Amino acid sequence: MRTNQISAEQREKAFVSARKPEVMEKQKLDVRYHVEDFDVNDRPRRFLEAFAAILKHSNYRVALDHFIRVSAKCSRCATTCQVYQATGDPKDIPCYRSELLLSVYRRHFTMGGMLRGRVAGTGHLTDEKVQEMADSFYDCTACRRCNHECPSGIDHGLITHLGRYILSEIGIAPRALVVSTREQLEGASGNTSAIPVPALIDTLEFLSEDMLEEKHVNIAFPLDVEGSEFVFFPAVSDFLMEAETLMGIAAVFTATGDSWTTGTGYFDGINYGLFYSDRILERVVKKIDNETRRLKGKKVLIGECGHASRSAKQFLPIYCGGDKALPVINIMEYTHKVWKEGRLKLDPNVITEKVAYHDPCNIARQGWIIDKPRELLKAFCKDYVELTPNGEDAVCCGGGGGTVSIDEIRPYRTMVGGKVKADQIRESGCKILVAPCANCKKQLKELVEDQKIDCEVAGLHDLIYKAIIFDDSLKVSPDEKQTGEEE
Amino acid sequence: MATFTLGEVSIEVDEDGFMLEPEEWNEDIAKALATTEAVDILTEEHWKLVHYLRDYYLKFGIAPMIRKLCKETGFPLKKVYELFPSGPAKGACKVAGLAKPTGCV
Repeated sequence: MRTNQISAEQREKAFVSARKPEVMEKQKLDVRYHVEDFDVNDRPRRFLEAFAAILKHSNYRVALDHFIRVSAKCSRCATTCQVYQATGDPKDIPCYRSELLLSVYRRHFTMGGMLRGRVAGTGHLTDEKVQEMADSFYDCTACRRCNHECPSGIDHGLITHLGRYILSEIGIAPRALVVSTREQLEGASGNTSAIPVPALIDTLEFLSEDMLEEKHVNIAFPLDVEGSEFVFFPAVSDFLMEAETLMGIAAVFTATGDSWTTGTGYFDGINYGLFYSDRILERVVKKIDNETRRLKGKKVLIGECGHASRSAKQFLPIYCGGDKALPVINIMEYTHKVWKEGRLKLDPNVITEKVAYHDPCNIARQGWIIDKPRELLKAFCKDYVELTPNGEDAVCCGGGGGTVSIDEIRPYRTMVGGKVKADQIRESGCKILVAPCANCKKQLKELVEDQKIDCEVAGLHDLIYKAIIFDDSLKVSPDEKQTGEEE
Repeated sequence: MATFTLGEVSIEVDEDGFMLEPEEWNEDIAKALATTEAVDILTEEHWKLVHYLRDYYLKFGIAPMIRKLCKETGFPLKKVYELFPSGPAKGACKVAGLAKPTGCV
C-alpha cells in the first residue's frame, strides 16, 4: 500500500495543538494531548526511578536485552508504518521511536552503557528527551504492523507501550485515558463511560422494545443470570453509541437460545491499561474475572471491540489463574460457530450495498480472527470486496493504541494516522465498512467525515441484525403486549 | 480548568469547554455555551434536544443512548448534526450542561 505524503498545509492543520500555551509552559510539556497537572520537577530522575521499579517487578528486561543486542536500525519498518508514510518525517520511523527508550535502557540499565556513559560523561537522560518521548509515543497508533517487517523481531509496539507506562508513572498520560480508567477503577459507576446501572437497564429495555417493534420477537438482554454460559462485556460505550451492534448480538442469542448474561456488577470490556499502564491493565482484567466468577459464568464473552478482546484473551491467563483462567471468546467467534452449526439463518437479499471488512489490529495482527467474519459477510452480503492489504497485514484505522479517545488530536488521527486507511476505503469503493471494534468505529466514522468519503461505518452485528431470520415459533403477534425485559 | 465568561455568565469549564459543575446549568448558560459550538441562536428544535438531554441526565446521571435520543426527540441523527455540528455526544451534551463524555465516546 503506497500513499502520498500529506501537504505542508495539511501538516499544519493535523499537528495543531488544542493546548493552551500557559498550560504547556506550566507543565513544561509540549504535547498535543491534555495532561492532568503533575510534578514537573526533576523529571529525568523520576523517569529513571519509575523505569527501574518497572524493570524490577516485571520481565521486560528479557525483551529489552534482546532488543538492544539486535537493533540494527535498518529502518525496514519504515515501509510499513502508516504514520511515517503520511508524514515522511524520519522521527516517525518505528526504529527511531523505539531507540528513544532503548538508548535510555542501554545507558542507565546495562553495565556496558553505564561504564561507557561514566567514562565519556555523556548520554544521560535529559528533560528534553523525556519531552520527546511524551510526544513521540502518542504519535504511534500501536498497530504493531511494523513488528511483521522487522528482521530482528523487535516489538516496537511493546516498546511504545513500555515507554507510555513509564511516563504514566511520573504523571504524563493523556487525560482522556486517565479520567476514564479512574472512573472505571474508583468511580461510582465502575466503568469508563460512567454509565450507572439504572441507565443501563433503561437502555436495554428501550432496545428490547425497539426490537419487538421491528422484528416482532422478544429479544432480551438477560441481566445477572447466574450460571450462564457467557458473561458479556462489550465496550461500555456501545450502550451509548452502538445500539445496532448490541441489538444484533442479542438477536443472535435469541435465535440460538444459548444462555448469556450481562452483569450489573461490572459490564465494561474496555481496558485502557493495554495502551499505557500494566498496573491498570491488571486491575481492569481482574474486574472481568471477578464479575464472571460472581455470576458463576463459564466463559468471558467480549463484544465488538479489538483491544477489549485482546486484553482479556491475553491477560486473563496472566493475571487470573494461568491454565485455570476463564476462557475468553470474541462475539464474532460465537456468531460464526452458531452459523456454521446451522443455528443462525441470514437473509442474503437484505444487504445489497458494496461491503468491505476492516480488520481491527488487536484482533487480526496476531492471526486470531480473520476468516470468520469474512465467511459470514460473504454468506449474506451480495457485494463483498476486500481492502488490501488485510488480515494480519491490515492497515490500522488510525486511532489505535488509545489515541481515538483523545478528542483533541482528531485532526492528527484523521489526516495522519488514518491517511492510508482513507486511501484504502476510497480505492475499494465500499459503501458500508464493517469494523467490529468500538475503537475503530469511532475513528472510522470521524475519518470518513473529515476525509469526505461517502461510506457508512457499521459493526458486523449491525448487519446481522438487519439480515437475521427468526424461526416462526419466536414471533409474537404485534398486539401482544409483551416486552422483552428480563427473563 | 478555566473560567468561561460571556456577558452575565461565568462558569468553570474543562479544557474542552464542558461544565465542571453541571448542576449549575440554566438556559442562559446554555445560550452562552452554544456560541462555542458554532450555534448562534438556539431555536425551538435546539431547545427540544437540550431539554430532553437535560431531563434524561437529571434522571439517570448520564446522557441517553444516541438511538434513544433520536427516537424520543424525533430527530434523525443527521438532523442532530445539523443542529449541533460537533454531534450529540459533544456539542449537544455540552450545551445541555453535561460533563464531557469519557471512554470510547
